[in-house]
Amino acid sequence: MATENDLLTARIVCRAVLPVIKVALQDDPKVKKNFANVTGTVQFLAKDPAGPVGAHLKFEKGELEVVQELIDNPDLQFTFSSVAKMNAMFAGKMVLFGIKGFTKVGLLIKILGVLMGLKILMPTAKPKNPLQAYLKVKMTLYMVSTALSQLNKFGDEEMKKWTERQPERIYQWSVDGTDIACWLKIKAGQTKAGRGMYERRQPFVHMRFTSVDNALPVLSNSVDTVSAIATGLVISDGSPEYGGKLGDFMLKIAALLS
Amino acid sequence: MTPEGGLAWTVYDANKLASREIYGIVLADLGAMYPNIVGLSADLAKSTKIETFGNRFPDRFFNFGIAEQNMFGAAAGMAKVGLIPFVSTFSVFASLRAGEFLRTDICYQNLNCKIIATHGGTSFGSAGTTHHATEDLSIVRALANLTVVVPADGIETANAVRACMDINGPVYIRIGRGFDPPIYKSEDYGFKIGKAVTMCEGTDIAVIATGATVFHAVNAANILKQEDGLSVRVLNMHTIKPIDEEAIMKALQDTRRILTVEDHNVIGGLGSAVADVIAASGKGCAFTKVGIPDTFTPHGYPEDLMNLYKTDTDGIVGKVREIMGREFEADEDWEDEV
Repeated sequence: MATENDLLTARIVCRAVLPVIKVALQDDPKVKKNFANVTGTVQFLAKDPAGPVGAHLKFEKGELEVVQELIDNPDLQFTFSSVAKMNAMFAGKMVLFGIKGFTKVGLLIKILGVLMGLKILMPTAKPKNPLQAYLKVKMTLYMVSTALSQLNKFGDEEMKKWTERQPERIYQWSVDGTDIACWLKIKAGQTKAGRGMYERRQPFVHMRFTSVDNALPVLSNSVDTVSAIATGLVISDGSPEYGGKLGDFMLKIAALLS
Repeated sequence: MTPEGGLAWTVYDANKLASREIYGIVLADLGAMYPNIVGLSADLAKSTKIETFGNRFPDRFFNFGIAEQNMFGAAAGMAKVGLIPFVSTFSVFASLRAGEFLRTDICYQNLNCKIIATHGGTSFGSAGTTHHATEDLSIVRALANLTVVVPADGIETANAVRACMDINGPVYIRIGRGFDPPIYKSEDYGFKIGKAVTMCEGTDIAVIATGATVFHAVNAANILKQEDGLSVRVLNMHTIKPIDEEAIMKALQDTRRILTVEDHNVIGGLGSAVADVIAASGKGCAFTKVGIPDTFTPHGYPEDLMNLYKTDTDGIVGKVREIMGREFEADEDWEDEV
């Protein structure tokens, strides 16, 4: 039986990690070419006595939609014997899983390539290629902003307590000189993650990385946030207390996914 | 613009003197610099403190008796021949009793007269309804050519009185009876007619205040920061006309919540001036005006009246809490965009 922690991690995997595959499809020319005109469904299913857990990817002529429900006959299915094992696979650990749909060999090879590509999200990954570095920063920030929202939606007590007493506030991340930008909106216990610069009001806290190269050591946990601010890798505008607390929740996400 | 030899009063004095007392001293200092300044009173030299100027320059000071209309008409004539009249009376008399003379004799001809309107708002509390100036800003804001300034404390009054000399046209400076709590510690905070002063930075809500309410808005911001963790921006909108549209639009864009506070009727004063700017921009926000509703004010101490109309610290704290709970994006969708 999956623990609360397993279920929370699975939720983050399905709702925050899987969606960043869209970034690779959009910004990595090789992945984009591989998936051009691909149509099909790929499901990730973890067995649990309380009922299966998972989501599926729906490709429509190269466009991806991540659907938070399980379907009966996906073209391809990765089956895990437990929720913990599915989580472990996405944390980059070796686990055994079943594959259904071997007849779709082409789709299988392509999706395995994408799953391998998700390894750049791991803190240990330190890509030197500029494109890979850009993708790591973009995918990580997008994943983290959504994961924070999911942490709240799941009902994490500490996160809930923190969001409930806040009026409408925007926490913004961005990287100078790039299109990388995402935000987390909080309002009286509700949260929503979004992409791009929030235009309707000034952020309450804005963590601005001065370049992709400067973001990498911070997102790889090689440099802590305080040192990163002190050395100018990141500029944090707004409340330092709330920015610090957000940093604590980001570490919690990292711990769940490792 | 500071008179040679410095001011006759110090920051220490500002803690003890009412705004009108500081006005009297600054005007006397200016009188030494500008021989064409003349002082006019309608039997209120003592109350409006223009007597300080009168004592120093008795040949340039004129008491018209209880005849405000006559005083405003004479001021227009004096300005016509190159003098700079400082006309002092209660706000309620300057805007209402002498209103037509202010409009037709002074503003219509764009004459260089300075109207120092004391005892603004409910500051003359126990003198009662007849002496409360709760409509003056609505009236004078609508007069063409007239600049309207409402200083927040004694130091700002000094700045405003000096700055009005740089305007070649009519200026209405509205001050309280006293004893306004001091806000500024020095004059060097960048006072400029037409430019709001940011008292505290914030991104949750912007409180735009004027006159005596600025002190309470700043206090309220501190309380809300400590007790509610709210980030409240406070703007001292000392100039009601021309209003600082840039500061209002920045506050709107940054916070999406605006609360205006004034010791004045909510119809036509600061709140209406801010609302005009917002409405013209076409941008949406949660907006509330705090001030005296559509009513005549009762007798009472100024502090009690400000408490009654929620223009004091407690009132502003309560209103901010109320407005923070208001929805302004009814179409809000809380699903993550992924």
